[in-house]
Amino acid sequence: MARLVVRWPARLPVNLMIGALLVALVVGVAALSLIWTPHDHAAMTIRNRFQPADGVYWLGTDQLGRDIVSQLMVAARNSMTVALVAVLIGGSIGVALGLLASALGGWVEDLIMRVADIGFAFPALLFAIMLSAVFGPSLTIAVAAIAFINIPVFARVARASANQVWTRDFVAAARAAGHGRFAISRDHILPNIAAPVIVQGTIEFAVAILAEAALSYLGLGAQPPSPSWGRMLSEAQTLMFMAPHLAIYPGLCIVIAVLGFSLLGDGLRDITDPRLKRRRA
Amino acid sequence: MQLDRVSVAFGAAVALREACLQIEPGTRLGIVGESGCGKSMLGLCLMGMIPDAGKVSGSIRLNGKELAGAPEHVWRRHRARDVAMIFQEPMAALNPLKRIGDTVMEPLEVHEGLSRSAARARALALFDEVGIPDPDSRLRQYPHEISGGQRQRVLIALALACNPSLLVADEPTTALDANVALRIIDLLVRLSETRNMALVFISHDLAAVARATQQIAVMYGGDIVERGPTAQVLGAPRHPYTIGLLGARPGLDNRGRGPDGRRKRLVTIPGTVPPLFELPAGCRFSGRCTREIASCALQRPQPLALGAGQVAACHLLGQAHAGAGAS
Repeated sequence: MARLVVRWPARLPVNLMIGALLVALVVGVAALSLIWTPHDHAAMTIRNRFQPADGVYWLGTDQLGRDIVSQLMVAARNSMTVALVAVLIGGSIGVALGLLASALGGWVEDLIMRVADIGFAFPALLFAIMLSAVFGPSLTIAVAAIAFINIPVFARVARASANQVWTRDFVAAARAAGHGRFAISRDHILPNIAAPVIVQGTIEFAVAILAEAALSYLGLGAQPPSPSWGRMLSEAQTLMFMAPHLAIYPGLCIVIAVLGFSLLGDGLRDITDPRLKRRRA
Repeated sequence: MQLDRVSVAFGAAVALREACLQIEPGTRLGIVGESGCGKSMLGLCLMGMIPDAGKVSGSIRLNGKELAGAPEHVWRRHRARDVAMIFQEPMAALNPLKRIGDTVMEPLEVHEGLSRSAARARALALFDEVGIPDPDSRLRQYPHEISGGQRQRVLIALALACNPSLLVADEPTTALDANVALRIIDLLVRLSETRNMALVFISHDLAAVARATQQIAVMYGGDIVERGPTAQVLGAPRHPYTIGLLGARPGLDNRGRGPDGRRKRLVTIPGTVPPLFELPAGCRFSGRCTREIASCALQRPQPLALGAGQVAACHLLGQAHAGAGAS
């Protein structure tokens, strides 16, 4: 094992390292916001509005005199929480459905996958807007919407990988040992599809961050005073020419977070998918 | 276990045609033939593990119980307990992400309802029985950490876990080197004798089958062309395919130069096995057979008892038989 650890860094792809770095930065800042921010992110001091960056307000203040750094940090935490919960819920349901489809085959598989196709065809944001129209805008609705649109993605990945694993000899051996389809799915299929599912999860994390930002931008995500990158962008929109930094910083945060998770997902795919590995070598 | 006129078809491709076999408790049956002759399909028939696309007809009886066409959950009750199977590629047949101990103990806990410690004790006893040294540390290892021969022994232990009365071994020695293969064969024979367990040994290695089995069935193109006591069939083959197969073995006597001074060549059966959907309707071997007669390609030869338990399906034998009867 020690040899493995030593050999790894030399072989890690660049996108994985950059991605991991950016993700560590975003997650670290989000975690830090739990215990410390430079200022209270919601404290308004109208006297200090539109402050330029200085020693007190590192990135200045917004139109209500709130500290931008503190808002960005708390927004990072919100964004991570939404993405994590949404991807976990959507991923679990999706993987379960994919495994079920793969295990049962026949018309059940067809039905699940065709329904997943319909889910794919449905525009995600439209679905979120529809939910918000029915239940009123809230963070919970945003999470539910993002989780829901993740279900077919994971169902597809899980089924495709599971179908491959089902053809392996050890699955035949498990059947010959008298195990049922569901026990085999749990004990043999699931551990062997973990890699592609985790890769997909990382990429979907980036998508979820983007979706959360978009929903917040439309006012359908986190509600004030809870800050969010998307809402900071929309609030800065009218002030673009007066105070461009209000739009630039949250925009930059979204870019860093989405880029980080996308690169991390790509990098993980590179090291877990042997077919890609061969092509790179 | 009894197979009566069992056929397996994938659309127009007939992978197995009206196979009849009887496997008595404690006996060892070898199934030989070229790649794609249906021998693995026959093995899967015994396990009820024909892929969904395959259509099975005929009768498969286990201790008198009809299982042909039985649903998965019925077959499941018999797998591991009555019929078990080991596979060609021992690395592929073990889940690479599970410790060997977990793989072997799992069926014990599921089927026999044993506690973890009882299952562990049984697993240790099984490992001891199949000759795995240091079973204690083996249980904690992963499949990639042990050698091919050890892996095959682990699979045998896994197959024996629930004391099956029939073990199907699908080319268990193909992926192993000759020395290890011999020891695995001897292990299978010993286990079959001590446990009074029937063994179906599927292989294309005639020497391995000769060593392991008492009965043999020779397959070609989905048909069982000849069967009978192993010594009888290999010693006095009657079907042209069996004769050709035995003639095509490399050995010491076909090395070097013949009396005419030319290099001796390995005798082969001319031609190649046609694809399953292009097999001749009559005798599957027609078209490649050197002693073909008119009726071969059109009419299917029926199995013919030749005495001493030997049965072959060939028109030539039928003719000779009929001729002998008439005169």
